[in-house]
Amino acid sequence: MQQTEIHDFLVRFFSSAECELLPVADDHDQLKVKLTKAMDKRLMNRPFYWHYIEQIGAEPETAVLNFRFSDRIQEGEFIHSGSPRLHQILDASEKMGRYIRMYQVIANKLSPALEPWLCINMKVSYQCDLKKDRICSMGLQLINGTMIEGFQSVLNTLHLSQKLPDYCYTLRPLITIKSGLTRIEHFIESELQKENFDWADHAATRWGKDLQLLDAFYEHQEEKPERYVQEKQALKEQYQPQIEVTLINAGLFFLQSAAFLPDLIKDR
Amino acid sequence: MKPIIHFDRSWYESFFKHIEEDGPWAKSELFSLAYLAEQARTVPTFHGLIAPSRLPLLKPHPHQVETARIVIEEMHGKAILADEVGLGKTIEAGLIIKEYMIRGLVKKVLILVPASLVLQWVSELNSKFYIPAVPQRKTYVWSQCDVVVSSIDTAKREPHRDIVLDQDYDLIIIDEAHKLKNHKTKNYQFVQSLKKKFCLLLTATPIQNRLSEIFYLVSLLKPGYLGDAESFAKNYKSGSHAVRNEEKLKALVNQVMVRNRREDTGLRWPKRIVKAYDIPFSMAEKDFYDSLFELKERGMIQPFSLLTLQREACSSREAAFTTLNKIYKETAHPMNERLWHHIFEKMNAIKQNAKAKKTLELIQQINDKVIIFTEYRATQLFLQWFLKKNGISSVPFNGGFKRSKKDWMRMLFQNKVQVLVATEAGGEGINLQFACHLINYDLPWNPMRIEQRIGRIHRLGQEKDVHIYNLATRGTVESHILNLLYNKIHLFEQVIGDLDRILTHIDLKDVDKQVAHIFEESESEGEIKVKLDNLSSVINFEQNHLSEGDSHAADGNS
Repeated sequence: MQQTEIHDFLVRFFSSAECELLPVADDHDQLKVKLTKAMDKRLMNRPFYWHYIEQIGAEPETAVLNFRFSDRIQEGEFIHSGSPRLHQILDASEKMGRYIRMYQVIANKLSPALEPWLCINMKVSYQCDLKKDRICSMGLQLINGTMIEGFQSVLNTLHLSQKLPDYCYTLRPLITIKSGLTRIEHFIESELQKENFDWADHAATRWGKDLQLLDAFYEHQEEKPERYVQEKQALKEQYQPQIEVTLINAGLFFLQSAAFLPDLIKDR
Repeated sequence: MKPIIHFDRSWYESFFKHIEEDGPWAKSELFSLAYLAEQARTVPTFHGLIAPSRLPLLKPHPHQVETARIVIEEMHGKAILADEVGLGKTIEAGLIIKEYMIRGLVKKVLILVPASLVLQWVSELNSKFYIPAVPQRKTYVWSQCDVVVSSIDTAKREPHRDIVLDQDYDLIIIDEAHKLKNHKTKNYQFVQSLKKKFCLLLTATPIQNRLSEIFYLVSLLKPGYLGDAESFAKNYKSGSHAVRNEEKLKALVNQVMVRNRREDTGLRWPKRIVKAYDIPFSMAEKDFYDSLFELKERGMIQPFSLLTLQREACSSREAAFTTLNKIYKETAHPMNERLWHHIFEKMNAIKQNAKAKKTLELIQQINDKVIIFTEYRATQLFLQWFLKKNGISSVPFNGGFKRSKKDWMRMLFQNKVQVLVATEAGGEGINLQFACHLINYDLPWNPMRIEQRIGRIHRLGQEKDVHIYNLATRGTVESHILNLLYNKIHLFEQVIGDLDRILTHIDLKDVDKQVAHIFEESESEGEIKVKLDNLSSVINFEQNHLSEGDSHAADGNS
């Protein structure tokens, strides 16, 4: 993350968490935030303070975070792509943004029906002794089974609301959430199977080499010691190629598909 | 090979619950931000390092970054880091831990270091790398904390031992790993039993010299890599010390070991400017020094004790007094009373210390931060008193100080006072590179100790040339030593690390003992001189020999 991206992220995060942004001299390189009670509890790690304040029923003084984004400013906590504070906030945003339900706000009032979509954003991690990841954002229409990859970027273009607009109604899903999830998994898995596995082959070769050495080392021992088993297990953990798919966040969206289809259809 | 594909479904239940209970739902903005947050933290390629970009304040040197990359990508996370002293092995290790943690390949880390370095590691990892390392203080730390720093001696003792052996470590780092060269020791066997995925062994002592050492270190890392003990001996050993198939062995070892040399790093290393001062005793000091012989002549002390006394007398009468007083109490007898009276009288007659006077003069000339090293606590106190009397404040520094006190003294020296008087290099654990003047008030007989002293200021981060002032008293044991170290083996111009290699190679780790023998057993000045000359030629021969070997090895690596 570049410094300006971090700045934007923090402004968006604290604004949506209803924290007050305080005035600063240089709003490019500085950010000052008065935390809400909830955010203070989440970020400041001072349970005893809160316990005490709540026990005596006093008015709490929530913390003010003062960030700086460059060396030009002396005052405040320097925040950058590796600072623990930033990662704490990224973690918080992931926790606070996990499950969602949204409705599309449409201009065309002639067809007020909204179709149910299941959205899952996932991280796909390829791991052996090395590791890389990519993000996979899937959307599944729960009536006809239309599937879209890159769903999050579609969502970003739509006007959405937490509440069902007055003049709209939602269509009943024919596919249950549970089988929707299974469909998405199957789709991802079949895509993964088609990928190039050179990386896994290379890892397997390294693994095999080290296993051979290990076997040779204990060759003359009739009864293999516990250490042999342990080392063998360690090699497996080090090299075994695997792909791990984990959740970032998921949601139900009620949308009018005509707004963004048909050019993005992946599967039916 | 097909990778195993695994879907994490642990979140299904809570998602269904949200749907069933119609919330609570996240805000739209936070949903997008969560996606962004994860996007910012994905690592899109297997190769390259992410860690440096997450550590904008660290500014690692290119060789450190390259080392971290090689260890991860080419050595698959199992390596010996054997850089020469002062090139920043800790930084390399930190980069490797950080990279693995960012990529999510490593969570649980155990770092075993000498007890005196535990807190330094903890503070460096936290402040420079934002790695939440904790020192092992309570038993629960082993299982509760992810990154733990401890000494081997603590970890291998019950009740810790069982708990530690029970943990599944992703990464184990062992500092000063050359101490694990003997596979029969408890420490070696303990480390061997640890469960580990990745492993780094840090050592400044090059291990090429002893075959069995290298075998056992590598076997800790990758059992079987050099065969088993038997086949290793068969393939590479010839006789008790010599090596067969050296090229092949070197090539193998180079695949699990990174060794950066000072000259290869492309960094500008500050020069060492060495000056020696041959200082004559004052009359009173000379009288006292000479009177010590009488103790030996009367058979009241062994040659070794005389040597100790003489060295102390060269340092200060205060240093000599401590030992002298002890001997006096042990040998007190009415028959000796006159002799003792005579000696103490001579001692009391000393009104000034020639070396201290010279030191004061140097400090005033230098007019900058100065570190003074002495071998003796009594001299340390005397010097502090003497300097204070002449309007110069100083702080003491002893190897035995607690970490916090060491840091405090270092701070005072850096910010407040001109002089630091140290008794021990504290070989491990204090960096004083903000100073560039060092006075060796007296000289240790083990050249490695001198190296350690100089290493405090002549290291990465030193921007100025380093000035070293050696004081020796004319016509005493000290001047012999200075001559040996300074003129004969050119110790002070050596590249750090080389000396250690030379001494290890010729089995001369205890140079100080050798020197002591020479003094004790020689009957005359002439004999001392001849024997010291012999010693220096042995060292010099090895030095030339090794530096030739080096240029070959360097060719082979490229």
